[in-house]
Amino acid sequence: MKKNSTNKIKLGIFVSLGLVVLILAIYFIGEKQLLFRSTFRLSGVFKDVAGLQTGNNVRLSGINIGTVESISLVSDTTVRVDIVIDESSRKFIKKDAIATIGSEGLIGNKVLVINPGTGGKESIEDNDRIQTAQPIAIDDIMVSLKTTIDNTALITGDLAKISTNIESGKGTIGRLMMDQTWRENIQATIVNLKEGSDEFKIVMDKAGEIDSILIAIKSTIGYTAAITSDLGAITNSLQSGEGTIGRLLMNTTAAENFDSTMINLKEGTAALKLLLEKAQNSWLLSF
Amino acid sequence: MEKIILHKSQSENKVTEVVIEESVEVVKDSMFKKFFLEVSSLTTFTLRFFKEAIKPPYEFNELMKQSFLIGYKSLPLIAITGFIIGLVLTIQSRPTLAKFGSESLLPAMVAVSLIREIGPVITALIFAGKVGSGIGAELASMNVTEQIDAMQVSDNNPFKYLVVTRVLAATLMLPILVILADGFGLLGSFVGVNIKGDVSAYLFFSQIFQSLEFNDLIPAIIKTFFFGYAIGLIGSYKGYNSNKGTEGVGEAANSAVVLSSLMVFIIDMIAVQITSLLQG
Repeated sequence: MKKNSTNKIKLGIFVSLGLVVLILAIYFIGEKQLLFRSTFRLSGVFKDVAGLQTGNNVRLSGINIGTVESISLVSDTTVRVDIVIDESSRKFIKKDAIATIGSEGLIGNKVLVINPGTGGKESIEDNDRIQTAQPIAIDDIMVSLKTTIDNTALITGDLAKISTNIESGKGTIGRLMMDQTWRENIQATIVNLKEGSDEFKIVMDKAGEIDSILIAIKSTIGYTAAITSDLGAITNSLQSGEGTIGRLLMNTTAAENFDSTMINLKEGTAALKLLLEKAQNSWLLSF
Repeated sequence: MEKIILHKSQSENKVTEVVIEESVEVVKDSMFKKFFLEVSSLTTFTLRFFKEAIKPPYEFNELMKQSFLIGYKSLPLIAITGFIIGLVLTIQSRPTLAKFGSESLLPAMVAVSLIREIGPVITALIFAGKVGSGIGAELASMNVTEQIDAMQVSDNNPFKYLVVTRVLAATLMLPILVILADGFGLLGSFVGVNIKGDVSAYLFFSQIFQSLEFNDLIPAIIKTFFFGYAIGLIGSYKGYNSNKGTEGVGEAANSAVVLSSLMVFIIDMIAVQITSLLQG
């Protein structure tokens, strides 16, 4: 009888041990799926989920904070992804957070990566719709990589040619690098430049005096400008025959009149001379 | 029958041919007949098991005793095999994963294969070898020594007392053994990982639980109930219906192991189909 009861105790220990292991396993697996924590839900709409599956992890700053609960096709170009996230990380996800689909490794599972959004904004609410960014498909990367590689091939070909030319001393850079005389010339130029700049420094030290001269020159130039513009106006008026001198210069009638006046004046003065000579010889005035 | 034919063939050549043909037919017929007879009697046996299992009174004490013998007494064997399987699987998988430079996936890979498939099946096969043959031999020897008939005569229900308790004990104990074997297997795997690397226990187990899902654990546990049930039922059936005679005991033990091992694989295949169907 006693043996029977010890056997029963042993059986009890055996069974409870098995159950404890099972419960622990269920707890740890459930813990990963946030079964025993308070959670909140978000949804996002993608065009293409790139192989994301139900149960995949959701990451914020590289930390697993939730799992993908369901994925469903809404229409032929829209896929709705529902995710469950640990309540404690809600305060870090802002209203303008963006969800993208990334990958755990080169051959690993897909993950939903949440970019937390701008600091000052309000936290996201339960059942909110999160903004999404289209994941970069490996195929697209491959296509653009192909063009890049093609371009790189061309560029490296050109570079090879250039370096050969440089090596053989062709072209400016080639000569610069490989030609001995050029190098000496450049060295001499640099020495000259150095001397020149030393002198320039001295000149610059005297620049204080030059300043006042420059100001004087500037005002002179100002006056000259005014004078030349006045002169311009005058010549314009002269040309259009305005004013006395203008009319004298440009008006032909006036000139003719002036001419005849001058002739008359000449004749007048000759007659006056004669008259005066006669008057001198006249008796009336000889006393 | 064969002897008679040979005897006839020596005396009359003409008759021989005809009789030999007949005898071939008889053998063929008996193989088919045997198979279907076996299926039919196994079905009756199964139905009787359910009938007797549901009907009171229940043999709780005997069930406890059988559970102790079948479950607890198998633990050392199961623990050692589980530990070794975990260790060996880890060591064997390492070179393949090392080729991809992903040795860090080792705990996850071993855990998934151990819990989904290798743990349940290896444990069930060991269990079939130890418990299935034990039940078969025990019941067969009781049958041979007419103890079962004696029980029937003395108005005890031998089916209820002997078969139902053993089948139930096997059904209930195997899942617990499988869970513990998985546990020991993971310990073995932890040792295996640390032979060539250095992984802390905390990292090891957190990697394992990171990779596991309910989809891995629950179907694997559910199928072990069917494994246990099949092993207990086939062992009891073979023992209960053994031939009277000493060789009947050996035959019952042997065929119980063979058939129950085969059934383990068949159930496993069906379980995989159902699981993958349910997971879509």
